This record gives sequence, structure tokens and C-alpha cells, in this order.
Amino acid sequence: MCLLSRHPATPHFFTSGWNKTLSSRLSPLRSTLTAVFSHKIREDTTEHNDKDEILHDHNHDGIDRRGFLKCMAWAGTGALCLIKGGVLQSYSLSRLPELKEKDVQAELSFVQISDSHMGFNKPANTDVVGTFKAAIDKINALPITPAFMLHTGDVSHLSKPEEFDTVQQMLKSASAKNVFYVPGEHDVINDEGKEFRDRFGKGGQGAGWYSFDNKGVHFIGLVNVMNLKAGGLGNLGQEQLEWMEKDVKHLSKSTPIVVFAHIPLWSIYPEWGWGTDDSAQALSYLKRFGSVTVLNGHIHQTMQKVEGNITFHTAASTAFVQPKPGTAPSAGPMKVPDEQLRSLLGITDVSYKRGEHALAVVDSSLG
Amino acid sequence: MKKITLLIVTTAALAIAAGTPFLRAVFADKPADIKIDNFSFTPQTITVPAGTQVHWTNRDDIPHNVVSEDKSFKSKALDTDDQFSYTFNKPGTYKYFCSIHPKMTATVVVK
Repeated sequence: MCLLSRHPATPHFFTSGWNKTLSSRLSPLRSTLTAVFSHKIREDTTEHNDKDEILHDHNHDGIDRRGFLKCMAWAGTGALCLIKGGVLQSYSLSRLPELKEKDVQAELSFVQISDSHMGFNKPANTDVVGTFKAAIDKINALPITPAFMLHTGDVSHLSKPEEFDTVQQMLKSASAKNVFYVPGEHDVINDEGKEFRDRFGKGGQGAGWYSFDNKGVHFIGLVNVMNLKAGGLGNLGQEQLEWMEKDVKHLSKSTPIVVFAHIPLWSIYPEWGWGTDDSAQALSYLKRFGSVTVLNGHIHQTMQKVEGNITFHTAASTAFVQPKPGTAPSAGPMKVPDEQLRSLLGITDVSYKRGEHALAVVDSSLG
Repeated sequence: MKKITLLIVTTAALAIAAGTPFLRAVFADKPADIKIDNFSFTPQTITVPAGTQVHWTNRDDIPHNVVSEDKSFKSKALDTDDQFSYTFNKPGTYKYFCSIHPKMTATVVVK
């Protein structure tokens, strides 16, 4: 168990509309919550800190980052990490029945799914249709209907039309009818992404980037899997960066921003291509905003990092697991015991409450 | 005498023929095969005579492709066990990579 309790304050979830008791909603055997995170707007957002030390509210937002990140490492072994008012608390899943739940109605709730790799059929998962269906069932079992879904790419495994077809067909049974997509590198293999754009990219510009607003939150879908250079990482390109700069120029700094793209926009493990060459420039356009959330996929495991006003979050895949950075000869599909597979795949539920400008990001596994 | 002449002529002809790229490839010691596995091309650098047909086979459980940096060749997506071949007729150094996973880079040197 992760011994990082600080205050006796009751933790609460910002995920919307949970009316049932927590213990009935969460069974330790059936789902693993990796983190609940919420953060408030700060006016002075210029400083960021990535030093490995106890920060003690260094950025004046009440978040002990080192403790948070340490707790993330425990999440895989069954601890629940919560942040309330910037203070970190953790509980082993066996203590869940003790937790009280505060009902918070969120004004916006959406789901991120990622890396469905429709068409994959190797030992790491011979039934990606089944696990994708389990993800949809999970979404449909959420207490309220998400406003929409974000798919952060690698919809297909080989950019084949029938693979895209299958995903689109299956998502028709999801409670959230609107889905916004950005492509992964597996979606743009043979045709520079034309098939993907024809199906999913209406309203996009260039390689398919776009933005939209919902309940006061500004969403930006970026494409960082085109024109990749030999030896390089993900790439946004000058045209997209110029578009993005203009896109956010006139927004007030209190507008919560959510950026979603396939390859992580922060450098997780460059040796495996887990990063984007020119993301720093994109993020520089967002420095003045108080609340920025970046949602990515690609690495098939959940990871979070907080840097100043930006929370980075990567989603699990619904298809197969990949190893942690540097722990295997390559980033390829990792075979895990069959009974563990669904616990390592998952979806991400994100909620926003207007006025607090706080986004809560909750990962849950498929089983 | 005629037999010896015939032998000399035949030997000479064979020697010349052996100098052609076609026969060089047929009698080559090393096959020009590149294996794709674990997100890498093996061997990472290969040196072949001009006219050699190089074969790539994907043994990884993830699709890859073969794209030259100078855009002279580009394969379709290769799933596990798929193959791609390209004949290098002109001498030179050909750097290539997998455009799906661009950290995978390799070189074909053609002499």
C-alpha cells in the first residue's frame, strides 16, 4: 500500500453522476482505477518544474507532484490514488468500502478510447473485437452518457477499409454517439491518410487537424503521425503549428483546453519513438492558459505527467499491452497471462465542472 | 587442339559472364536477405553488388514497411511474414527506414 496520506479530508470524485455507493461501483476484482486527478486554474502559469524532489506546493497549486508520480507507480499493483484540493491520498483497493463518496454533477463528461488496432490477431490478443466490445460495454455502463468520445488513433492495425468499417459499426452501439478521431501511424500507412480523412476527418484541415468547443472547453485534435522523418519522433509540422497558434490566440486564458493527438506530446522514451519532435512549440502557445489537458495514446499504457499548467495523460489500448519504457528489446505487443489481459486494457473517463475549470481524468480497466 | 581452343574460349566466356551482375547474384556467397524483427532491420547495413535484388521479410508481430529516404522505393505495409523486394541497379548508399516507426533505420550500400 502506498503510504502517502496527508489530510483526513474526505476524498471525492469529480466524475459525474455517481449516485451509488463507491463500493458497489468499484469492485477490486473488476476494475482498477489508476488515478483521479483534478487541478484548479492558476493565474501565474509561467513556471514549470520537472525536478525530482518534494515540491511542497512549489507551483502554488497544492499538488505534490513527486508524491503523485510515486503513487502512479503503485496504481498497477492495486492502490487508488486521489487528489483532493491538490492533496494526495491513497488507498489500497481493499479499503474501498470505507470511502465516502461525494456526489458531484459535472457539466461535461467525455471518454477517451485509444489504440483499438482493429485487424490485429497475434498472441498478445487474438480477439481485439472482443476487447473493443468490452470497452464499449464499459462506456455504456458509466452512470451518465458521455457527451462524446475521443479516439486517439490506431483505430485500425493496417489502415484497411474493413478494419475502419468494423470500428465504426461497433461504435454505433456506444451510448455516446459522437466520436472525434485523430489518426495513429497505423491508420495512414498506404495512402497518406486519405481513407482515414474521408471517414473521420470532415471539417479538418491539412492532414486532418481541427478544433471544437463544448460547454466552454476548447478541444484541439492534432495529427502528429504524418511525414515522419527517418530516425525521428512524432511530427506536427509548420503548417499545423501555425494553425494552432491562430486557433488559440483569441481565447481567454481561463478557457480550459484539451489537446488530443496520437503520439505523446511529451518525451516519454525517444528510443522507442515515444515523443514528438516539435511539440514544445505547440505547448508554448498554451502556456498562458490556466488549465491544459493533453490526451495521447500510442504507448498502450497509462502514464501521467504534470508540468506547470499542463497535465499529460496517455491512455491504455483496447487491443494489446506494450512494455514499460526500456524494459524489453522493443516496444512490440507484450503477451501477458490471459487472465490479466483485460485488467491491462482500458478506457479513460474525463469530466469537467464549469466554474472550477477542473478536469478529472479517470482510467478504468476492462476487467 | 580444337578441344583445347574450345575449352579456353568457354572458360573465357564463363569468366566474362561471371562478371555480369546476373551471374554475380546467382553465385553470390551471401543472400541479400534482410530480416525485420523487434523493430529493427537485420543486418542494419548490407553491402551488395549493383544489380542485386534485396529481399525484406517481416518476422515481427507488428507491421512495418521499407521506405527509402530518397524516395526511390517504398513498400506497402508488411504484416508478419510478408515480403518486399527491390533490385538495386545503381551504385550508391541507400538509407531507408520504416515510415510507421521512423526510429527503425538501416542502409543498403551498392557497389
